Amino acid sequence: MGRYILKRIWYMIITFYVVITLTFLSMKLLPGTPFQNANRLTPLQLNTLKHYYGLDQPIAVQYVKYLWNFIHGDLGTSFQFGNTPVIQMLVAQFPVSMDLGTEAMIIGTVLGILLGIFAGLYRGSFRDWGTMIFATLGISIPSFVFAGALQYCLGVLVQLFPVAGWGTPSTHVLPVTSLAVGILAEVAIFMRTEMVEVINQDYIVTAQAKGLSRGAVVFKHAVRNAMIPVVTILGPMTAAIITGSIVIEGIFGIPGIGKQFVSSITTNDYPMIMGTTELYSGLFIITILIVDILYGVIDPRIRVSGGRS
Amino acid sequence: MANDNDTITQGLFEPVGADTQVSEHISGKVVSAWRDAFRRFVTNKGAVISMIILALIIILALLGPHINKYGTNDQNLLWSDLPPKISALSWMPMFSGKENGVDVYKDRGVKQEFWFGTDQLGRDLWNRTWAGTQISLLIALIAALVDFLIGVAYGGISGYFGGTVDNILQRIIEVISGIPNLVWIILLILIMQPGLLAITIAILATNWIAMARIVRGEMLKLKNQEFVLASRTLGAGDGRIIFRHLIPNSLGMIIVNTMFSIPAAIFFEAFLSFIGLGIRDPQASLGSLINTGFTILQIHPSQTIFPGIVISLLLICFNIVGNGLRDAFDPKLRR
Repeated sequence: MGRYILKRIWYMIITFYVVITLTFLSMKLLPGTPFQNANRLTPLQLNTLKHYYGLDQPIAVQYVKYLWNFIHGDLGTSFQFGNTPVIQMLVAQFPVSMDLGTEAMIIGTVLGILLGIFAGLYRGSFRDWGTMIFATLGISIPSFVFAGALQYCLGVLVQLFPVAGWGTPSTHVLPVTSLAVGILAEVAIFMRTEMVEVINQDYIVTAQAKGLSRGAVVFKHAVRNAMIPVVTILGPMTAAIITGSIVIEGIFGIPGIGKQFVSSITTNDYPMIMGTTELYSGLFIITILIVDILYGVIDPRIRVSGGRS
Repeated sequence: MANDNDTITQGLFEPVGADTQVSEHISGKVVSAWRDAFRRFVTNKGAVISMIILALIIILALLGPHINKYGTNDQNLLWSDLPPKISALSWMPMFSGKENGVDVYKDRGVKQEFWFGTDQLGRDLWNRTWAGTQISLLIALIAALVDFLIGVAYGGISGYFGGTVDNILQRIIEVISGIPNLVWIILLILIMQPGLLAITIAILATNWIAMARIVRGEMLKLKNQEFVLASRTLGAGDGRIIFRHLIPNSLGMIIVNTMFSIPAAIFFEAFLSFIGLGIRDPQASLGSLINTGFTILQIHPSQTIFPGIVISLLLICFNIVGNGLRDAFDPKLRR
């Protein structure tokens, strides 16, 4: 197990290193100069500026310096917010996005698992059919269309919940619902498939044959085993939450990283874009690592083969 | 009694003999795997209906911008923010040309009709919606091609040759897929201008990974089976075995996976255009149309509704057709 975890961590470090290098290279490839009104500066002024920021050094030196700064948490300063350090802005906004993401993830996963169990138990019936139609819609309809419809219907027409903002619990309802629906649908479909598979196993027949009640069979034997593979979709789910939160924070005016990200794109705030990009990749890579290790812990068969593919 | 038995002697019988021609004859019509899959697909009502809707959307996307007299980018501020109006359907509140009970067309003296209304610059939204759909369909096509050309080849080579080649190719995949799609596209867009080209390259860079993994798995499963050995014994080379035996045998899986990667790619483009990283004005994309519509959603909801419906329908139908194909090609998976 220890070797397996070490191997996963090693891959994680390589991937993250590639991300950082790619961000550095794309910053070097950016068109234009980093200085405002560069064409009005005299060559001497330009050289002084370049020297001040270390831009006159060879790329290799700049690269090492960049890595050094990165390790020390220096991601540069934001262009659009008067030279505020990027790291400081990310730290300030991260909790909001984290709240939104975890709330949606917990609600989506729990309801999705329940719905999947329900559909799996009544396979082929009207209830199963209805659940699956709902899940297909949930997977297909883009988050921004759904969020917009929700905002218009429940925020503008009926005025049940606030249209935008973040703070009181009632402001959480619409954004968290919009973000959770996709996850709910995905988990429900996945859970249903697993349930159907598990229910046909021999040990379920054994459990029934030895006279266990239906509830005991379903919850102690079927659900427990069916839930194991659900762990694997946690990785793609994190990616979905990140993509979703960018859109949904924009639509509902939530002061999180996603909204910040879009505004830094529209204002060409490169250090901010880079910082956010690195944060997102870091989150994603760590989630995948956790999922892999968790899966190895839950299901001992995985460890032996050294990974799933 | 005994007498009766005596009359039937051994000599009365003669062996008929097994006619190999007759016993080996297949009485039913031969059903190929493809026909079988097709037959199963057709019985799936949802998938067939989705197919028809998709066909309609494709026809409308191709013909839509040509069947009225406005251009996709024609601006006319006199016609700004008009609600949808179709005379033939004016009994429906949606297409009456009225907004909040006021006949906007009559009020502003506009004689023309705009089937989906107009945007803030007076551009016809019927045209722009279908022009945006064209982009989505183009993305679908690119995604499918990338899946087929890169994904199948990469996975095929990796799975078939195995060993060091497989190891290296898999490590590369591991690193590429460890970085979220979103990050790839942002890096690309910073270097290039946002637009169709950047999105295409981003799809080129990432979209084939799931396919490569699936094809590799199939290859590993198939390459040790007897029919491959038989083919090799008859002198077939690697290329022939891969392209004539292994890939046709995993084609069902490949088609199904392509069908699932299409909606993902369409969503990705719409999402990027929605947050301003994709297609930009004056070009129309469903994502950017919805984004523009959102800014005035509370005043003129009609501007968001049509692009929203079209993209939702596209994604729903592609997903249902994908499910239908999966059940048709591999009934074992149907549950």
